[in-house]
Amino acid sequence: MDTSWFAKRPVSALRPGDHGWLAYTSQEERDRVIGPFVREGLETTEKVVYVTDLPADRLPGLGRGRPIDVDALVRSSQLRVITPREACLDRRGTFEPAKMADTVARELGSAFGQGFRAMRLTTDHSWLLNGPGADLGRMVGCEHRVGDTVSPSTMAMAICQVDRHACRPAELAALRDTHEVLVEVNPEFDDGILKIVRTFEPDGLRVEGELDAARHSVFADQLLRLRPGRIHLDLSRLGFIDLGGLHLLAKHATRLPADAALILDHLSPDLESIIDMVGWHRLPGLARGRRLAETEGIA
Amino acid sequence: MALEHKAFMYRGTEDFLSVTVPYLRSGLERGQVVIAVAREPNLTALRDVLAPHGGAVTYFDSAVFYKHPVHTLRDYQTIVKQSAPRTVCALAEPVWQGWDERQTLEWVRYESLINVVFGESGARSLCPYDAEGLPPRILAEARRTHPLLLAPGHDGANGDYIDPVRFGSGCDRRFSTDRPAGAEYFSIDGDDLHALRVFVGERALRHGLARQKAQNLVTAANEVAANALQHGTPPIGLWTWRDGADLVCEIGDHGFWRPGPDPLTGFIPPDSALQRGFGLWTVRLLVDLMELRAGWDGTFVRLHCA
Repeated sequence: MDTSWFAKRPVSALRPGDHGWLAYTSQEERDRVIGPFVREGLETTEKVVYVTDLPADRLPGLGRGRPIDVDALVRSSQLRVITPREACLDRRGTFEPAKMADTVARELGSAFGQGFRAMRLTTDHSWLLNGPGADLGRMVGCEHRVGDTVSPSTMAMAICQVDRHACRPAELAALRDTHEVLVEVNPEFDDGILKIVRTFEPDGLRVEGELDAARHSVFADQLLRLRPGRIHLDLSRLGFIDLGGLHLLAKHATRLPADAALILDHLSPDLESIIDMVGWHRLPGLARGRRLAETEGIA
Repeated sequence: MALEHKAFMYRGTEDFLSVTVPYLRSGLERGQVVIAVAREPNLTALRDVLAPHGGAVTYFDSAVFYKHPVHTLRDYQTIVKQSAPRTVCALAEPVWQGWDERQTLEWVRYESLINVVFGESGARSLCPYDAEGLPPRILAEARRTHPLLLAPGHDGANGDYIDPVRFGSGCDRRFSTDRPAGAEYFSIDGDDLHALRVFVGERALRHGLARQKAQNLVTAANEVAANALQHGTPPIGLWTWRDGADLVCEIGDHGFWRPGPDPLTGFIPPDSALQRGFGLWTVRLLVDLMELRAGWDGTFVRLHCA
């Protein structure tokens, strides 16, 4: 379960003052968070600052086939792509936390002057963790300074990205703890009763709220969009599933390839008792996954 | 292979052992999976006499095994399936004490259902009835639910036996159709059952049901209501009231169920959730008692929980 002092927020629900954290497991997950973050900023005439070595037209959300005039955005300063060297390295090419904080403050100041109503900042820190002179202490210090600039602001929001596989769990936890907001993908579906969120590691869906007959078809659609394989469903926040929902899960599972399965993680005691009551063997293709108590991890 | 289902009217432990011990030994000799479900002190007496056979016989105390007819049917079915390809030889002594009228009726019906659920299993079941201790009515019902009978002066086919479908419809006719004037009503319209679940959940907790049991009732009521929405005819509604220790929820619609539910509907354990009947069978598991009545005035499913 998420530790309670972190707010988990879909990317489109970020607000000014949020110093957000994204530990992504794949490029797909990163793009599905950072893409909307960048695009929504540009579409609502907010300033977007991206610290990266990538060229502007290869940023998440701005790739080919998108009807966005990237050059015009760069010319108008609505989109600022700053290389890490400019943003946070000193003359010898060493990471300098104070310089990063200065960069954020400078961009924020100019955004205000340029008439933007908000500024979105994002950068991927993964390279710092493994590059020459990598130093967790300096990284954490940098995050605190960025947080000190962003959090009190009524017009700045930031997402710090880290490749989850690029650092050790202890480093990940230390970096995460410098953020109050954990950013995740936008839900695939949310009608206030049922919420379906894509998960990436493991591959699958988090199903929250209540799944009943009125919502079977949207849920079935989401299952069909997943790559067939060992699909995990995180049910820790599923308060109710009807018997038709169990039928639907079993039906989907029997259509998966022979080596695939639908794995039910974090079943609530209520739901587990119903499945035990009918017998797991009556739900072919469904497997019991991780237990609720085992869910403590790095969000 | 056909089921062999025999009622055995016994008088005292000695008489009990004189029949059940050779019966269980014959199961071992035939290579069957042998289980003995009996009441104390019969169970301990059996264990003592059959001790030389070690772990070849699996024992269950009836007081643990017979708590809810649909669960017990499911448990026997699990044993039969897990034993395959070997067949099962069961001594099966039900519990007849401590039930109210409705529960007694369900256990009588259960004995009748055995003939259908295990009809082709090749299993043997010998069901001891304490002829000295049980009320005459229970002994009379045993004769109506077992095709074979072993009683003083008789061993073989039983002329009083009634076909399970006919027997079950007789049971269904005994359901009360009364609903107290003070019953609360919840109208089911539109296909979103969220509000219905909140309504039932609140009543269940207020009634004093344990949280898990309350949640099970919510799941059961939701299932019946979803069925009514899918197959029934409006108006559809749910009534709830207190009946002694029970909380009762009845879901009704005004459709005429054609060709109508079978007296076996929802009692036969399905092989998988993908089979027809999984929903109603699970509803029967989830609540203490489910009554189903389909008539010219509509279809009514009554759920009892205590």
